[in-house]
Amino acid sequence: MAAVTLSNVVKRFGVYEIIHGANIDIADGEFVVFVGPSGCGKSTLLRMVAGLEDISGGEIAIGGKVMNDVEAAERGIAMVFQSYALYPHMTVEQNLSFGLRMNGNPKADTERRVKRAAEILCIDELMQRRPKQLSGGQRQRVAIGRAIVREPQVFLFDEPLSNLDAELRVQMRVEISRLHKELGVTMIYVTHDQTEAMTLADRIVVLKAGNVEQIGAPLDLYDDPANRFVAGFIGSPKMNFLAAKVVETGDGAATIELVNHAGARFKKPLQTTPPAVGADVVLGVRPEHFFDAGQGDCDISVKADVAEHLGSVSYVYADAGDTELIIEREASRHRASGDHLVVSIKAGKALLFDTKGARIR
Amino acid sequence: MSSRSQARLGRSIALHLFLTPLALIWLFPLWMMVVFSTMPDNGIFSPGIELLPHDNFVENFNNLQRDTNFVGAIGISVSVAVTYTFLSVLLTSMAGWALARYQFVGKGVVVAIILGTITLPYAVVLIPQFIMVARDFQLANTWVALIVPPLFNSLGVLFMRQSFSMMPGDLFDAARVEGVKEWRIFLFVALPLARPMLAALAIILFLASWNNYLWPLLINSQPGAMTAPVALGTLIGLTKVSWGGIMAGAVMLTVPMLVVFVLLQRHFIAGIAAGAIK
Amino acid sequence: MRYQNATAYRFLAPYLLIFSVFWVWPIISSFLISFQATRTVPWRWAPTFNWGRLIGDPAFFNALKNTLLILVIQVPVMISLAIVMAVLLNSPLLKARGLYRFAFFAPVVVGEVAYSAVFRLMFNLNFGIINKLLNSVGLPSIDWFSNVTPAMALIMIAVTWRWAGYNAIILLAGLQSIPDDVYEAATLDRVSKVKQFFYITLPLLKPIIVFCAVLSIIGTMQLFTEPFLITERGGPGGGTETLGLLLYRQGFRSLNFGYASAVAYTMAGLAIAITLVQLWLTKEPK
Repeated sequence: MAAVTLSNVVKRFGVYEIIHGANIDIADGEFVVFVGPSGCGKSTLLRMVAGLEDISGGEIAIGGKVMNDVEAAERGIAMVFQSYALYPHMTVEQNLSFGLRMNGNPKADTERRVKRAAEILCIDELMQRRPKQLSGGQRQRVAIGRAIVREPQVFLFDEPLSNLDAELRVQMRVEISRLHKELGVTMIYVTHDQTEAMTLADRIVVLKAGNVEQIGAPLDLYDDPANRFVAGFIGSPKMNFLAAKVVETGDGAATIELVNHAGARFKKPLQTTPPAVGADVVLGVRPEHFFDAGQGDCDISVKADVAEHLGSVSYVYADAGDTELIIEREASRHRASGDHLVVSIKAGKALLFDTKGARIR
Repeated sequence: MSSRSQARLGRSIALHLFLTPLALIWLFPLWMMVVFSTMPDNGIFSPGIELLPHDNFVENFNNLQRDTNFVGAIGISVSVAVTYTFLSVLLTSMAGWALARYQFVGKGVVVAIILGTITLPYAVVLIPQFIMVARDFQLANTWVALIVPPLFNSLGVLFMRQSFSMMPGDLFDAARVEGVKEWRIFLFVALPLARPMLAALAIILFLASWNNYLWPLLINSQPGAMTAPVALGTLIGLTKVSWGGIMAGAVMLTVPMLVVFVLLQRHFIAGIAAGAIK
Repeated sequence: MRYQNATAYRFLAPYLLIFSVFWVWPIISSFLISFQATRTVPWRWAPTFNWGRLIGDPAFFNALKNTLLILVIQVPVMISLAIVMAVLLNSPLLKARGLYRFAFFAPVVVGEVAYSAVFRLMFNLNFGIINKLLNSVGLPSIDWFSNVTPAMALIMIAVTWRWAGYNAIILLAGLQSIPDDVYEAATLDRVSKVKQFFYITLPLLKPIIVFCAVLSIIGTMQLFTEPFLITERGGPGGGTETLGLLLYRQGFRSLNFGYASAVAYTMAGLAIAITLVQLWLTKEPK
């Protein structure tokens, strides 16, 4: 077990810089998820921790030891790949033991480790099969088993669930969570799926275009995002963004008026100096933070387009003049398209951003 | 019968009526090779039309063996082809692996030289190769002379490079993370996965070596050092020679390859279709 | 990817050694030798000696003329035949496909010496099966080996027999990579089979046809064994002498390495020109 520290890590391909100095501290035994849209550099970062990519600048340390010039094999890590990367010409048992055999690990110890991994993942029955004869979920287990066998200090997962169907994905998510509790080992997990990040992580690292946007516990990111990108990326359905203007300031608060809803204004208490009167701002409201008319600080009227009924809740897609809003409603409230709907926003449940996307707290 | 299936039948008949005579013409030289090899010499040079095999193959073969040590030459051909195939598959797949799977300084230059010279005719290197092997290295009429120079074959490298780069890279990274040494990854992960490609390459290389004529003709011209095609070629054009014997030799050179072709057709065709080697 | 110079070069080293010694260096060396007078001891630097002789040598122009003649006639005939073979072998209506495939592909494995010997016997003036068959249908015998035109025809027939199937294999692979739905769509658009061939198959196959043509041209350009063995060292009277044969004669009979290298580089020049034409022909339209 070991802590992992990334200090000012930079990655360049030729003249093209794709990671711009990442600083991330991962505690021993912590489950950290790197999340971001494709092309944000999350997989590259993971492969740099693994030793599969050169580090162009900065340092990566595992267990206090700088690993920049250490071969992948010597870093005490194990990795699970998106494609599973099972050796197609070997049985499950041979897949699990390959690395140990190739490095002259004592036979008895190899067998013990393989047996333990098989038990943990319930794949004892499959030991003599080849990857081709396994289902997607089984392959995934074998891939994880191969990592367990190494008894690593750090587990690395590179989008391990993206090739599975929805149901299996949920099941494997739970299993990976359970595995983390059981082994208590540091895990770094890369995904583009914010749901996976929210459900698995102790802490999430949100990346965008090679920059770390925010690091924090899942609910902290959800409730208190540092910027508009994180606010929009974390949470499903996405946060709604409405154009607004500052119309009055004072008393450590700003009065905000929605641009496309004349008269819809409310006072938002702020900890920092409010923006100047007349400044354009963006208001962020999560779908579940639209309340019944009159129950919040300001009502707006919208036109319902489509309603999705999921059983426990319904999502109403509504036209709010400039943007489409997603509004969560209780299941029973049926809305036909074209209906007008009045919802209410609470100042305490709305986030404020400047036009560049930075949060105004 | 519907007009649709009638039209199909008509097309099918036309197709077979055209293709069958063409196929027979194409098979005719091979058939005649077999027929000639079983006919006595006075039968080959007689006015009658003979299209069926006789029973003189053994005597023809004895005549051939009298004209030249053909069995010895076959022995050399087999040993050379086997050794050459093994070495060439090994060298080209190692080089192909490096070009497909590693990032290294000078990679672009190596690839550019291989690609840039690939369509140059072999004739260009013939004379310097000959001078080098025969005069500078004094290796004429040795096995090394037959096996080593033709190993330059760069089409094989490109074929293997293509094969390895089509494999998922995660597979090799997984082994790397597990601490498997690079040469073991090559040997125990990459090569087993490339088996069909290796088979195709090996067959094509074996055939090329088996049938190679010009280079062995130049470099190993001494009796006792000749390959089978060269030994047979020396007889063609001689006046006092058994043509039945020559045909028996031709059959012995050809029929084993035809059998291999039929048995391993899939690999064969894959190798040629990939343009692995001419 | 990590830079792994040492590992990469360890894998490359054995091949690169052979490649440099037996391919790259000879290419350079051959060029240098072509500028030297090689029948003096020691060799003498004489830039115009061989090349000057080359442009005034009737034997060279005879060989060049014959080689180009074979190229211009044999390659198009063979490629057309190979296309026909490939298209017909690919037809879903064909029965006993394996037999036909064997018939056309079998020559690919036959060695040059073996088939040269058979062709010599088959085309013999008095006892060859071909002339006997001609006679049996009332046609006169052809003296394949004593007259230039039939001798050239014989070389072309032999080469076509040997290599048509080889090209058909490559073309067939190309045909099979054309998706079926393209043809299904065309059929629904009431495009006839013949028009499908000319407007779908041929254009889609063009890069492969060009590739085959280039391979064949470069192969035929070096033609050696057939005129060496079948028409007896380029006979009659140099009528089937090719560049390959001239190179052999000059290099290895007269041991005139400098002149032979000049001949070799003439072939290389032609090959480079043809490759450039191929690149131009198969250039993706912008």
